[in-house]
Amino acid sequence: MFIARPQPPASSLSVAPRSHAGARSCQTGGLVDDGPLLRIEGLTKRYPGATALDDLTVELPRGRIGLVGANGAGKTTTFRLLLGLTHPTDGSVEVCGIDVARDPVGVRSRLGYMPEHDCLPLDQTAADVVSTFGELSGLPARAARQRASDILDLVGLDEARFRPIGGFSTGMRQRTKLAQALVGDPELVLLDEPTAGLDPLGREDMLALVARLGSFGISVLMATHLLDDVQRVCDYVVMIDSGRLVVSGATESLLERTGVVTVDVGPGGNALVTALQQHAMPAVAADGVVEVTIDGDEQLDLVRDVIAELELPLYRLSTRLTSLDEVFLRRAEHTT
Amino acid sequence: MSAVEVRGGAVYDRGYRPYEGRRGRRGAATFALYKASIRRALGIRRSWRQKVAPFLLLGIVTIPAIVNVGIGYVTRNRSLLDRIQIITYRDYVGVSSALLLFVALVAPDVVCPDRRQHVLPLMFARPLTGVDYVAAKVAAIASIVFAFSFLPQVVLFVGNMLVSDSALNYFTGHLDVLWKVPLSVALLALYYAVVGVAVSSLTDRRIVAGATVIGLFLITSIAAGVLVGNNFRFEGGSPAAVINVLALPLYLRDLVFLGHIDPASPLNGVTNGGLLAIATYVAVLLAGMGVLLRRYRWVER
Repeated sequence: MFIARPQPPASSLSVAPRSHAGARSCQTGGLVDDGPLLRIEGLTKRYPGATALDDLTVELPRGRIGLVGANGAGKTTTFRLLLGLTHPTDGSVEVCGIDVARDPVGVRSRLGYMPEHDCLPLDQTAADVVSTFGELSGLPARAARQRASDILDLVGLDEARFRPIGGFSTGMRQRTKLAQALVGDPELVLLDEPTAGLDPLGREDMLALVARLGSFGISVLMATHLLDDVQRVCDYVVMIDSGRLVVSGATESLLERTGVVTVDVGPGGNALVTALQQHAMPAVAADGVVEVTIDGDEQLDLVRDVIAELELPLYRLSTRLTSLDEVFLRRAEHTT
Repeated sequence: MSAVEVRGGAVYDRGYRPYEGRRGRRGAATFALYKASIRRALGIRRSWRQKVAPFLLLGIVTIPAIVNVGIGYVTRNRSLLDRIQIITYRDYVGVSSALLLFVALVAPDVVCPDRRQHVLPLMFARPLTGVDYVAAKVAAIASIVFAFSFLPQVVLFVGNMLVSDSALNYFTGHLDVLWKVPLSVALLALYYAVVGVAVSSLTDRRIVAGATVIGLFLITSIAAGVLVGNNFRFEGGSPAAVINVLALPLYLRDLVFLGHIDPASPLNGVTNGGLLAIATYVAVLLAGMGVLLRRYRWVER
């Protein structure tokens, strides 16, 4: 019999208490810094013949953050700047209050990084690779081996950890990449297109893992061009286009009400459409629900009254929100 | 046997444990990479095929020491003049130059896959710099070459000591060996490691790197042979002898053991031949390190 895994905390090995609401404060020489996770100011990166980032200024809180943009928007350059692997042409970056330009090694010891491309030694086992990267993150050898085992278990590779990575599927390789990013217990993990190349099931699993990271107190900066992924797991969004900031803010605050109400009354949808049209309200049946365009709360009351008159069961009545795609397209057009 | 009734069960999610122990920085990361490179070079935690080459080579370079000790044991009752010694400690450093084959095999294996399989971005996302990476890789290869050169010398020394008339007299009579051998072997190991890793860093293909390392040593030794000629023992050598990158550390070995250039070497009779050998050795090391630091200057790449 298969019994579903309960969500943590479920045992003595569960999540340790965090300073606040699942988010971990940055430790700075024994002092707790409750400032923003990332502070980016006037960040500009120019290559010969191209500007990857153009005066990007944004301040990001701890949590799960989506970095959204089309291919070539500057997401990977942003990651390289955060890791201190390239120097900005202008501007500054602070991670957990540490200036990347002044102490790139110190910043890197707090970060985990999962690149988009293949980056794993194929002739080694997942356990060896993850424990080696644990040691490279500064952990003692024994602790690195123990954590490698725990993290591979966490990402669902407990039984495959002694197999060479060359024999892994794409999904297993993505999980191994995530495991090596987590093994050093980072305060912030940078995920570059974590669902790239995954089948629908693998994508669901990966998004579920990313969503869980927040409850472990690990902040996430996830670069992707899949806005649906961001909408599902991120509580803060930064949208960039051609190296410029389009918009940033809490995901909820960016999703606007559309003026369309979705009503689920079961099989009586057609009767409801007819009745609403008699009241001069535009209504259509789609995908088993009724969508009604309303203008104000009075019309919303009218919809409720019509349902009551028809004695239909009301399973759901909600306002449809814009998608992040719509927000991005509208804001990007406005910016350009 | 009665069946066990299973009433229920639970799969516990162990969740995530933050790490709250000691955490190192650059030094720890460099040492971790050094250990990982040594493991890889020796085939540890890899299939048995990967272990064959290094340990076979260790066996081969140890054979002369074992044979020498065996002959010493057989002839131990003869007079001192009649005892046979087939190899000296100085000669043995020359035998260790066969470890060049090991370097040509292993240096590409510890360097090329990191670039070919795009592992470098993961490494440089850690508290590790390009200098640390180069130091770890060179130190790993140099350590193994040193160990593989030094161990046979230890076998030779201990064996000679045991088959001598008086072990204590042998020990006190050969105290100079205790510093000359490690020093000359260290010079050889560092040199081969820097050249091997530097050449390997120029490509991401192991076979190309290995062939280039061997080709470099062969071509320069042939070129030096042509330029110097065969009568260097009688007519004197030529400064062109230093372009033989295979033999260069052996000139330094001669300086350590003899205090001057060996009259039987192609640098025989060259004015300031010793200084020229040292200067060329240092120049090759600096050039190799320059190549490596440039190849792994990760920032801005």
